[in-house]
Amino acid sequence: MNNPRKTPDASSTDHGVLIQVKNTQKETVNDFLKTAMEKGVFDAVLISMRVPAGDSFAYVLLTNKELLKDAFPLPPVMPVQGAKAISSITRRGKGNKKIAAILRPCEIRATVELAKLGQVNLENIILISMDCFGVMPTPIFIKDPEKSFKKFEDAIREDDDTVMRPVCQICDKSSMVAGDLHMGTRGVQKDSFFIVPHTKKGKDILDKLGLQANKNIDTWRAKINKNAKEKQKKRKQVHTDLQSSIEKLDKFLDIFSHCINCHNCMRVCPICSCRVCYFDSDKMKHPSDDYLRIAESKGSIRFLPDTSIFHMGRMVHMSLSCVSCGACEDACPMSIPVAQLFSMTADETQGLFGYIAGESLDEPLPLTTYRKEELSEVDDVHD
Amino acid sequence: MTKVLTVNHSVEQGIREFLKFLLDTGKIKGVFTLKKLNKKGDVAYSLITRSDELTDAVPFFPLMPVNAGKLISRFTMNGPPSEPVAVVLKPCELRAFIELVKLEQGSLENMVFISATCGGVFPLNMVHEGTIEKNLSPYWTAIKKEEIPENIRPVCKACTEFIPYNADLVLNLVGNKNLDSQCDIVIETKKGEEITTDTDIKKKYSQKEYKKENLDTFKERREAEKKKIIEDIDTKLTGMDGLIEIFGKCIGCHGCSKACPICYCKLCEFESSDSEYGPSNYEAELKRRGAVRVPPNTLYYHLGRLSHIAISCVGCGSCEDACPVDIPVSIIFKKIGESIQNMFEYTPGKSIEEKIPLTTFKEKELTEIEE
Amino acid sequence: MKKNDDFIPKILTFLCNWCSYAGADLAGTSRLKYPTSIIPIRVMCSSRVDPLFILKGYLNGADGVLLTGCHPGDCHYQSGNYYTRRRFAALKKIFENLGLEKDRLSLSWISASEGQKYAQTTTDFTQKIKELGKNSAGTEIFL
Repeated sequence: MNNPRKTPDASSTDHGVLIQVKNTQKETVNDFLKTAMEKGVFDAVLISMRVPAGDSFAYVLLTNKELLKDAFPLPPVMPVQGAKAISSITRRGKGNKKIAAILRPCEIRATVELAKLGQVNLENIILISMDCFGVMPTPIFIKDPEKSFKKFEDAIREDDDTVMRPVCQICDKSSMVAGDLHMGTRGVQKDSFFIVPHTKKGKDILDKLGLQANKNIDTWRAKINKNAKEKQKKRKQVHTDLQSSIEKLDKFLDIFSHCINCHNCMRVCPICSCRVCYFDSDKMKHPSDDYLRIAESKGSIRFLPDTSIFHMGRMVHMSLSCVSCGACEDACPMSIPVAQLFSMTADETQGLFGYIAGESLDEPLPLTTYRKEELSEVDDVHD
Repeated sequence: MTKVLTVNHSVEQGIREFLKFLLDTGKIKGVFTLKKLNKKGDVAYSLITRSDELTDAVPFFPLMPVNAGKLISRFTMNGPPSEPVAVVLKPCELRAFIELVKLEQGSLENMVFISATCGGVFPLNMVHEGTIEKNLSPYWTAIKKEEIPENIRPVCKACTEFIPYNADLVLNLVGNKNLDSQCDIVIETKKGEEITTDTDIKKKYSQKEYKKENLDTFKERREAEKKKIIEDIDTKLTGMDGLIEIFGKCIGCHGCSKACPICYCKLCEFESSDSEYGPSNYEAELKRRGAVRVPPNTLYYHLGRLSHIAISCVGCGSCEDACPVDIPVSIIFKKIGESIQNMFEYTPGKSIEEKIPLTTFKEKELTEIEE
Repeated sequence: MKKNDDFIPKILTFLCNWCSYAGADLAGTSRLKYPTSIIPIRVMCSSRVDPLFILKGYLNGADGVLLTGCHPGDCHYQSGNYYTRRRFAALKKIFENLGLEKDRLSLSWISASEGQKYAQTTTDFTQKIKELGKNSAGTEIFL
């Protein structure tokens, strides 16, 4: 391969701000945000809150600081991918308010990809990522919210992610410093965590708050690098197993035999942002006689015969920006392991270009650029 | 008087044989029906043109992966086929298609509709759980006795429109103790007559007069279930607070809308730029409430969709199966749907001539509405 | 039980150009008093009012929504208001069956010469809305 895939590593900064935890980490994060709002560093916050019925969580954009005491950064579920929330707020323009968004690394990476796709305006957005321990599948969480909540807390405390989404369990980017600021909570003392600046915007925020990024973050970085390496190994194994289970076309078709073409996976995907999806458009709608003709050539066809073209086509369209968040699999009413399949494919397609979706805003989308000499292995073999 | 054509097989095998005959003799070009896809027994709708493929057809399998009305609308929306196609579908799917024809989203030409009195379908999550196989036998046992099978969709339990309207040929499943040995195809319409009054068919199958079965017991049982299910949802429909609780976990995937046969808009109002928030909308919301859920408009979408399609809701339940977070959408839509339909004494899909109530009017009516 | 007297409800009022708006205008020129709660929106015909307008207004905190138009049979566009009547009836039924306060929605036929009826209807409806109190939908976060 011409462009070996880069191993994700902690940011290049060596130092961060050490924040002491008062009561709970959640409270401390919320206080930090409240203080920043009071000092006018930003005007609004996008953060998760528990819904009134208590059976799920939703993103809320707030200017009322008092609500922060009930906010929940990185809750047990991700019913809506954070990048979709950012897109909803900024797609039509940047607005007047400075908004700080607390999101997972995969949500921030998807936001960065959407910025490249013209679906997000980052000018007045401050992205704050946090170490992520994974999320539970939403359909399972809602079956018993109280019990699931406890399972989630236990999982974080014991660093055991078996209750999380399958793609979360093999995620090697869960501590990626992806935003303007990153809160490093993994592996540090229980009563403190780091805030690591990643961009100039992030550094400016810390300056305005009078916070000095002067504490060495080697302990944190060592812990997350170790975690990332373990996850990478696991990821490789899981992907190899998955690949061998779908080696032939009929096995691929088997995975999608339950698919009802609801397209939920596409609609919850943060990257899929076309207002009318190609696979919902008139291009896929044929006259009845055409369908009959196709049926005749085989004796019978599944109706609608759009399953494979939809999934493969969606892969072709969005694989290079896929952040392996797993939103698709949660939304599938037939429990098809879509995320695992798409995530594995994304590793391969992005690896072809040495590209990691959402890592850098400056790196252009691979299909929007080229090098004069590259990809010789797929180049003209008849030369 | 109604005639019935008898095939000396089980209902399933009988209809397979009859359709095979129609295909082989060129009376129809294709068959649209549920079919086993593979050795695992996965079932999906298929368009069959070669009769040997009918061996794996399971026309009355109690599953609805997609509402067939939606599929037939897709099949005919760019024009009818140039030769007849037999379509086997459930009563609510046929009703949905009739509504879609009224909405100019499909064509009736060259369609031969075959339906059956319906006992209900299993929820789609049973497919992944693998529990359908073991529930098949209890299902058919219950149906034969005019009892409501246990594990079917809640809206199916509450459905009183289990007798098909507008089908050309009808099979009796509910209350039919002979469904394993005798296949009686009831000829309901002129089109049904045309396709069966053929010398070939007359030679092969016997025809006799038909006496309609009384399914009042089943209807009463269904009505009792409906009452129970509506009473239960009424305890949750307590105004704004109740709606916020029910729809709080909605993730805005719009799966319900895409699964719904009646929702046909290419670009849904709630996905168009009409409903899209810009910075000024967000600022207005923040000023008004201090905080706003993102993405916004969860209740607006559901209530708006009600105001758009409830008048034609056929109570099939596809919406609820498409919902990833188990919101009881189908019950709410069925309840609201029927309350509006009752105002105009309208049953969606019952009569092709009857206009959808919101597309017509009477000069004197609803005087109680003005204050 | 006395509701807050200082409460001035926000009542979104749709007025069809040819009848109701002229009627409201007549109330004004006749110096008839009507409440400040009315937020008028002129439409060419009452059938222009998409149920979604009423829904959006309600969800954004309108305490009441008043839909007015020509009397049935007198529509400037022949049959518009017949459709209005059906749509409104259906929307009100939806509200009723979901447990939402259906009395916050009202329909009234007001002709160009009925300045008095306009003043009376708006006054009566405002009073009714005052008794119902503020619409909490305007402050909900999780709508």
